[in-house]
Formats: sequence, C-alpha cells, structure tokens
Amino acid sequence: MKPIAPAAWSPWEPNILSLVVFGVMICLLIAVLLFLSIWLGEKKGGAEKSRAYESGIIPTGSARLRYPVPFFLVAIFFLIFDVEGAFIFTWGIAWEALGWAGWLQITFFIGMLLLGLVYIWRKGGLEWGPGRPRR
Amino acid sequence: MNERLFHVSDMVINWSRQYSLWPMFFGLSCCFVEEAAVFTSRYDLARFGAEVLRPSPRQADLLITSGTIFKKVAPVVLRLYEQMAEPKWVISMGSCSNCGGMYDGYSVVQGIDQILPVDVYIPGCPPRPEAVEQGLLMLQRKIVQEERPTRSVLGLAGGCQGSQAPILADGRTKSRDPRGPGMQGTAIRGTSVSPPHFPESRSDLMWAPPPRAIHLSETDQTLARTLVARFGDDLQAASPVSDMPTYTVAPGRVKAVLRYLKNEANTRYARLDDLTVIDESARRDKARYPDYTMVYSLLAFDPPGRLRLKVPLHGKDPVIDTVTDLWPSANWYEREAFDLFGVRFDGHPNLQRLLMPHDWEGYPLRKNYPGRATEMAPYTLADARERQPLDGREFIRRAGAHQLILNVGPHHVSTHGLMRYVVALDGEEITELAMDIGYHHRSVEKIGERQTWHQFIPYTDRVDYLAGAANNLPYVLAVETLAGIRVPERAQCIRVLLSELFRLSNHLVWFATFAHDLGAMTPNFYTFRERELILDIVELITGGRLHPSWFRLGGVAADLPDGWKPAVDRLIQVFPQALVEYERLIRKNPIFKARTQGIGRITRAQAMEWGVTGPNLRACGLAWDLRKQFPYSGYENYDFEVPTAEGGDCYARYLVRVEEMRQSLGIIQQAAANMPAGRYVTDDYRYAVPRRADMLKDIESLIHHFITVTRGPKIPRGEAYAACEIPRGEQGYYVVSDGLGYAYRLRIRAPGFANVQVMPLMAEGETMADLIAIIGSLDYILPDIDR
Repeated sequence: MKPIAPAAWSPWEPNILSLVVFGVMICLLIAVLLFLSIWLGEKKGGAEKSRAYESGIIPTGSARLRYPVPFFLVAIFFLIFDVEGAFIFTWGIAWEALGWAGWLQITFFIGMLLLGLVYIWRKGGLEWGPGRPRR
Repeated sequence: MNERLFHVSDMVINWSRQYSLWPMFFGLSCCFVEEAAVFTSRYDLARFGAEVLRPSPRQADLLITSGTIFKKVAPVVLRLYEQMAEPKWVISMGSCSNCGGMYDGYSVVQGIDQILPVDVYIPGCPPRPEAVEQGLLMLQRKIVQEERPTRSVLGLAGGCQGSQAPILADGRTKSRDPRGPGMQGTAIRGTSVSPPHFPESRSDLMWAPPPRAIHLSETDQTLARTLVARFGDDLQAASPVSDMPTYTVAPGRVKAVLRYLKNEANTRYARLDDLTVIDESARRDKARYPDYTMVYSLLAFDPPGRLRLKVPLHGKDPVIDTVTDLWPSANWYEREAFDLFGVRFDGHPNLQRLLMPHDWEGYPLRKNYPGRATEMAPYTLADARERQPLDGREFIRRAGAHQLILNVGPHHVSTHGLMRYVVALDGEEITELAMDIGYHHRSVEKIGERQTWHQFIPYTDRVDYLAGAANNLPYVLAVETLAGIRVPERAQCIRVLLSELFRLSNHLVWFATFAHDLGAMTPNFYTFRERELILDIVELITGGRLHPSWFRLGGVAADLPDGWKPAVDRLIQVFPQALVEYERLIRKNPIFKARTQGIGRITRAQAMEWGVTGPNLRACGLAWDLRKQFPYSGYENYDFEVPTAEGGDCYARYLVRVEEMRQSLGIIQQAAANMPAGRYVTDDYRYAVPRRADMLKDIESLIHHFITVTRGPKIPRGEAYAACEIPRGEQGYYVVSDGLGYAYRLRIRAPGFANVQVMPLMAEGETMADLIAIIGSLDYILPDIDR
C-alpha cells in the first residue's frame, strides 16, 4: 500500500469555539429533558413506592453486606490484566521507533504478566462459583 | 383560551399514551397463558403499541391482573401496583379476577376491584387472546375519551389521568353473591343444602349398584396374609375394595407397618405416594366412622403395585406420629394435613402452615369450616395492607451474618407462577433454599365437596392449566373406578388423543420457557406457532382452548366433529420437522449445554424416595411411566417407548421431554388412524349425561339427564384412587363417596407438589443463575402444587 501524500490530507484546524458550542448544547439539552420530566412527571410518594422492589415482598435485612472476597479478586485481576493492554497497545503503535530494545522490554513485561497469571491460576484465584465441588 | 389549549394538549398526550402502554410481566394463573399467547406471532400485540412486558413494576404502567387473586397473594399485588410508575392503569382479566369466578372458595378474593381500581374488565375463563386485545383497545379508548391529563401534568387543579375508578366494598358498591344482587333472602345452593347442615338427600331414595369390587392378585393376597400374621388385631384388611388393597391400622402401630412395608416386605413399597386426611364428622352414618381418618397411599416399583393404609383418629385435634423419618417427602404432606385439617404430627421437624397464610385462623378442610368465600367476611384493602407474607428470615434456618437473604417470587419472571423462593446467598452461591408455597391455593379440594360429580370436571382442567383435558382423565377414571362405569372404546381413544395433544402442547410451552430462562428467546416464537396448531385442533373438537372440560363420566361430551382427521393429519405431517427445527436452535449450543449439564442433579434413589414423577423421574434413568406400568384408557394397545436419560440433571430432563414429544406424536398418529367406531359415551345413563338425541326421545334418558345435571348422579359409598401420567408426572384423584351426588372428600395427588419439594437437594450449593435453570427444567405449575 502506497502512503498517502500529506498534501492530500484534509486540513486539521483546531477550533475551540465549535467544541464549546457543542458542549453547551449538550448541557442544555440534558437540562431541558431533566427539567421537563421533573416538572411534568406525576410524583406520588408513599412508603410502598419508596420501598425496594423485591418480587413483591418486603425485603429482609440490608443489601449493604460485607462483600465476599471473590468479587473483589475478579475486579483486581481485571484491573491488572487490563492495564497490560494499555502498555501493549502503546508499544504496538510505536514498535518501529522502539526497535529491538522495545521488543525485548515488552517481551519481558508480557512474560512477567504470564507468570503472574500462572501463579493466580495455580493458587485457585480464577476458580469461580460454588465453593464445594459439584456432585 | 386556556381551555382550548389544554384540549389540544390533552389530545396530544392521550394519543402518545394510548400507543405506549407498558404492561407488567405478572401472571397470576391460567389467564396469563392466554395473555402470553397475545405476545406471540399469531396475535401479535405489538400492533397495538403494548408489545413489551416489563419485569419490574418501576418500568410498567399497566397492570393486567391475569388470573385468580388469592388472599395470600393479594398484599403482593397491592404492593406491586403501588410501586408502578404514574399514571397507571389496571385491566382485570378473567372471571376470577373480575369476581372470583368459579372459585368461590375460602382462599380466593372475590374480585380484584375490592383492593385495586379497575379500568377495564375482560370476561372469560380464560378470555381468548382476542379478548385481551379487545381489552387493550377499550383501555386505549378510555384514555382518549375520558382522561384530561394536561391539568394534572401541569400541577393544576382538575383534570384526570390513570385509574380513577373507586375501590368497591361488598354490600355497598358491589355484591359478592355469585347469583348477582338481590338474592340475599335465598340460601346459596351448596351451603345449607350440603353436609353437615343438610341431613337428608333425595339421593337416598334412589337405588344404586354397589361399588366396583376387585379381586386381589396373588402377590397382594400373600402380602395380606403376612401382614395379618405379623400385626394381628392391629390391622384389618378392608373388603371389598374398588381399586387397591386397603388396610385399617391402629394409630399406635401404623409406623411399624409402614416401616415393614418399606424395608422388609417381599414387595417393597418404596414410595409414599400420598398422605392425607378425611374429616369424618359429616358422615351420615356417623357411628361407623372415627372423627378423622389418616390415609397413606404407597407405591411399589417392582412389581408395580399400590396399597392404602387407613388410620382412624379420635378427638378434636388428633395427634399421630410423623413418618418424616421414614420418608423425607412426608414433610410437606404432613404440614398440609396440619394446615388444612389441624391434625398434629408428633416429631415433625417443622410443623408450620404450608398453603394457608401464616396468620390464618382455622382449618379450612374441616367439615365445619365455611367452604365459600362469600360465607366469610369480604377481603378488603385493609386486609391487603395488614396480612403481609412472612419475613424471609423466618424461612432460613442456618443464616450466617454475611449472607444475603433474597426473595425470588411470588412476582418473578422465572418462577413460572406464584411461587416464592427464599434464598440465602453467599456471594453467588445458594447456601440454603426455602420455599413458601400456597400463593396459588384455590381451595379446589373443598370445592369438590360441594360440586356434583359432573360439575367438578371444569375444576380439574384448571388444576394443571397447561394440560387441559389431560387433567380430566384421572378424575373421571377415579369416579368410574368407584362406580364400575364401563367406557366405550371410541371414547377411550378420543381421551387418549386429547391427552396426548395436550402433552405436546404442554411440552411446547415448557420448551419455550426453559429456553427463555436460559437466555434463548427465539424458540418461544417457534413453539407457540405449533402450539396454536394444536390448540386449533382442540378447539375444533371441543370448542375450548385451554380448558375444554371435555371428558365426562363414561365417555366424552360429544362425538368427534367433521374434519378432525385432516387437522390431526396436518399436525402429524408438520410436527416432526418443527421439532428438528427447535432442537437445532439450542441442543448443541455450548452456552445451553454449560448451563444445563451437571446442573441441578438428583440421583435415582433420591427421586424414587421423594416421590418425584414424570419426566423428572425418567431423567434419572428409570423407565417408569403409568401408561406402561398401570395402563389405563387403552394405552396398552399403543406402540410407544418410554424415553429415559441418565444423570438426573437439567440437560437429561430436557432430553427426556423432547423425546416424549416424538413418542406422543406417534400415539396421536395411532389413535387417529385406528379410531374405533361406536358410542362416545356409555349407554349406562345412571351416571353419564345422556346423549341429547336420547334425552329428547325417551323418558328414561330424560329422567337420568334431569337427575345427573341437577343433584348429580348417586355414586355408591366407597373410595377409589386413579392416577394418570399427565405431562408433568403422576396426577391422581382420590374420591370418597358417601352415596350422594357429590364427593364426600376429594383429594388430588399432584405431581408438582412432590417434584418441587426436592428443589433444595438440586439447588443448594449451586449458583443463583443455576436456580433459574433448575426451575425451568422441573416444569412445575402452581395450581398443581397448591391446588
């Protein structure tokens, strides 16, 4: 594929004004919609209306419980392995400029993450679902 | 000027509202099946601008109360209504919701308008899908013609929107009298004229042959001799019997007899089929009976056999030992007996009310308890606010500090009816599952004690509202067994034909809902297409869709009409290909397999011990089908297989049901091809409703017709049990007659009751999402559990 000559590119003229106008319009629209629904919507309070819906039954206890650890673990693992993507994509875009040194560094980085994954896997961190084995 | 502007804006707002109604996904009973059909391709409600059912009241503004309003569920209905978005409307769908309908029973509210404002009433039982559309159109017209929303919207005085109808009160703004207003002076038939109030009956003047007597088989006679030798005077064999060996056992020894029958006898009676009570206080020959009789029905698998034990109980609130240590399945049966009769069970682990609300007073199935809701004080808005269901924590026994207690149901998309699961969750894992049933208790057994033998047939349709005429069969068989009525071959064949059509229709709904529960929506639209084809045939033959009430004592209601054969042939032609099509949609789908294989497992031994029946039992690898083991209605003449699968998980249950559809189609084909000629109803007009032509022609038939349809045929004193393999499992009717035109006691052994009781075995330890898959795979239905 032949590179396109810079002369053929459409000119990019940064103009802050249009962005500001766009932003203001968005804010106005949201404000109008919210205002209309607050103003025109019929509001009826009452104990039942403000109660949490739970299949038509009065809920038992609070939903603010101590969260089980697996949910937290999954969130943390997601964070870790998601950040990995941020590094790898940046490297992928600039890989020509970074050359072999960059390649070595990213390989080391991926290798470390893989080791981490193996460790988590072996430790059972990825086990999900009921604690006791299936019958 | 303002008024003119408001008028224009009223029109704009009303126009917008009428075409964007959001009905809530809330089915109470049978009517909801027709409501659901409205959303499928043939009726296509989307054309009228109300196409999506919203699962939460917050997103809905139209409540269609489709079905019976039970006293136990009324507080829930009221709460859901109050949690809905404003402005909101209510359509009352079906006779039950309109006025209690045919369920004038102690557990049913006689009309939703006693607790909610109603905009439109749709009559029918159940209304056809077209009637639902008509109801929606009427509501749209009401919005356009009667509502002036602008003033309300702008917060000004005046104007109106949403439901404005008043809540009605009995005696002032409405009459609960089933005959209409102005009849207060005359007693309602069936209250003062039935026991215990009414001592004499014209039936006594009528002669009737003795009940049918059977000869016991060699095995049964051997067992009888062994039992008498072992237990001596504490046990007497009843003779003659109409259906199965029956023994009367002294209350102190019943447990020993049961233990012997279960563990030691030559024929092992491994399953407790049913356990119930008869209140003998209204017997006309009182001296011959105790105060109460406990009845245990047992079943042996090899060789197939049944046996009944009767235990006389004395005293006002009798006590007997529990048998929960012998059969864990006795738990719910004993709780039900306590709930409805006030019999106490010594040593029962959790003797609480089961079907009735926890704050209910009295024992409804006792003879001195009023049978009709209209004999009791009306249910009011204040009742619906006060009588709240029990808090979830009361059901959970091992609740830890960090567990979430969650109510799933009675209003939930995936509970398939008014069923409440209380789940203790540790993260996503179900650590304990409890069930609260009875939200759909329609007091059918009590109604059976006041409707004549024929009048009760329509109630049987509604016990399992997806199986229609298949429900009629065990009831008519039980009465026919007791009275010894012979059914002509043609009638038997018609019964088989209809029963199997309903099996197909039921399994199609199951297929759609099961797939839908697992996230596959497409099968819904396909299976409901073929289901309509089946209902067309049913309608052609019977004139009804869901509830044909088509079987009669001694036959069926009328002969097959012209054109039934081509319609059945067309079904036989298109169905196999359709089934292949459905299967292609989900069977090999990896998500479907992952969600069902190995999920909700139950072993064969557990299933047999807990009384699990039907496809759920066969999915544990046991080829047990009443159509083969105890053939009835000529099933022995048909060539069909009993499909089984191994594993007892959700996937196995799926495999069994799909294969059953193939087998059913085969039976339909054979029944249609070999339909014998002859009468469609017996010529023994002592019990049957005579053919109309005969009734108009000769005086004998006319007299029988008159007696049969007014006070009911006299069925001889005695008892009989008959069970059929309906689509969901073994449904049995136990009828006790005191020689009158109606049953003295009518007991329904429901497959769902036993099938659902094992749910904790399947679901505890699985995740919350698996519970939904398990519910879908069990295929229960609420009136069948709660009756």
